Amino acid sequence: MSTMRQLLLVCLLSASAFAQSGNLGSFTNSGDVGGPAIKGSTEFSNGQYRITGSGANIWGKQDQFQYVWREITGNFTVTATMQFLGKGAEHRKAGIMVRQSLDTDATYADVVIHGNGMPGLQWRSKQGEDTNAFDFPFDGPGTLKVKLVRTGVKIYMYIGKEGAEPKKLANTEVSFRNPVLVGLAVCSHQADASDTVLFSDVSVEAQTPPAPKAQ
Amino acid sequence: MRELLLTCLLAASVFAQTGNFGSFTNSDDVGAPPLKGAAEFDASTGQYKITGSGADIWAKADQFHYVWREMSGNFAVTTTAKFLTEGIGHRKAVIMLRKSLDTDSPFVHLAIHGDGTPAVQFRNTKADNTNTVDFPIEGPGTWKLKLVRQGSTITVWLAKDGAPLRELGHTTNQLGSPILVGLGVASHTQEAVSTVLFSDVSLEQLPATAGTRQ
Repeated sequence: MSTMRQLLLVCLLSASAFAQSGNLGSFTNSGDVGGPAIKGSTEFSNGQYRITGSGANIWGKQDQFQYVWREITGNFTVTATMQFLGKGAEHRKAGIMVRQSLDTDATYADVVIHGNGMPGLQWRSKQGEDTNAFDFPFDGPGTLKVKLVRTGVKIYMYIGKEGAEPKKLANTEVSFRNPVLVGLAVCSHQADASDTVLFSDVSVEAQTPPAPKAQ
Repeated sequence: MRELLLTCLLAASVFAQTGNFGSFTNSDDVGAPPLKGAAEFDASTGQYKITGSGADIWAKADQFHYVWREMSGNFAVTTTAKFLTEGIGHRKAVIMLRKSLDTDSPFVHLAIHGDGTPAVQFRNTKADNTNTVDFPIEGPGTWKLKLVRQGSTITVWLAKDGAPLRELGHTTNQLGSPILVGLGVASHTQEAVSTVLFSDVSLEQLPATAGTRQ
């Protein structure tokens, strides 16, 4: 009986530990990647994420930012509506990121909006390599609906501004091993400041793989 | 004097062999595709008819037909491209910036595929994999392509069937100077060639980027 009680206690404790990292809606964890000097934070309430992140950049060979993520396998679609709160560096960035690991120089692909409103598709093809990027024309900051779709090696990017339905802008190709991390990222683009972004209407939808064909 | 004239004529003739390409100076296959490519330049219309074979311009090595010249610094390249032959959906007509004629050379190109998929693709370092940004497919047609290099920024524009050019966006690249700049055609199969008509070709050297020391 005493063993049973101990087991129950362990279960309760581990459930509580899980809840600490599990009160993030569609995601399971939050934390800083790359050890920025100013710590980031994530609040989840009323279905909205208020994510505060610092960090030199998500760029070059390594990244610093606040990340809210879950693990996922296979094909998926993530959508979020996002808005920068307050002022900051023109090239502060926030968006949806697929990442191989929490390493600062991990393989990744993301769909980001910069503080000035510029949409970007970015990726690091292999751990430790330089970031690649393609930036799209823009007409200023606002509230943007962003969508990232992973289909095999393809990462598709969709953007809609001020309530418009997201429109497909482009896709790139990045080879990840399953499982990957997927989530929301915020980076202030300066080591001595942080930025807060409000994400709402966040959805993570895993596509079920096609049923195996009859043998 | 006659000898000098003769020498001049001979030199001009030799030069003409590699210099009869209007804005460009040379034409050749890259990556030795089994089916040889060719380039014809019609000085009266300013049009290039470029025939190229080759598995692809992709992954770690390329096969295609290339018409090029050497350039440094900032520049703008514009052309209108139309496939004259049927072929594989992903056959490519490109404005190609390339470090060398090596099959695995670093490059950046603006491509229109045979099926009308526009793409910006690049290999950052020799023998590395090719990166791609594919844009939504608009279907086959006659495509105006424009690529501008300003420092490390490469900006691209596109228009289908006579529409006004629209900016697709920009990327950054460290190809440096000098590089080869030109037009390329790949059939996306070693068993066939594709022919593309390039017209309204313009190659413009742009001033040094403000604030950049040359």
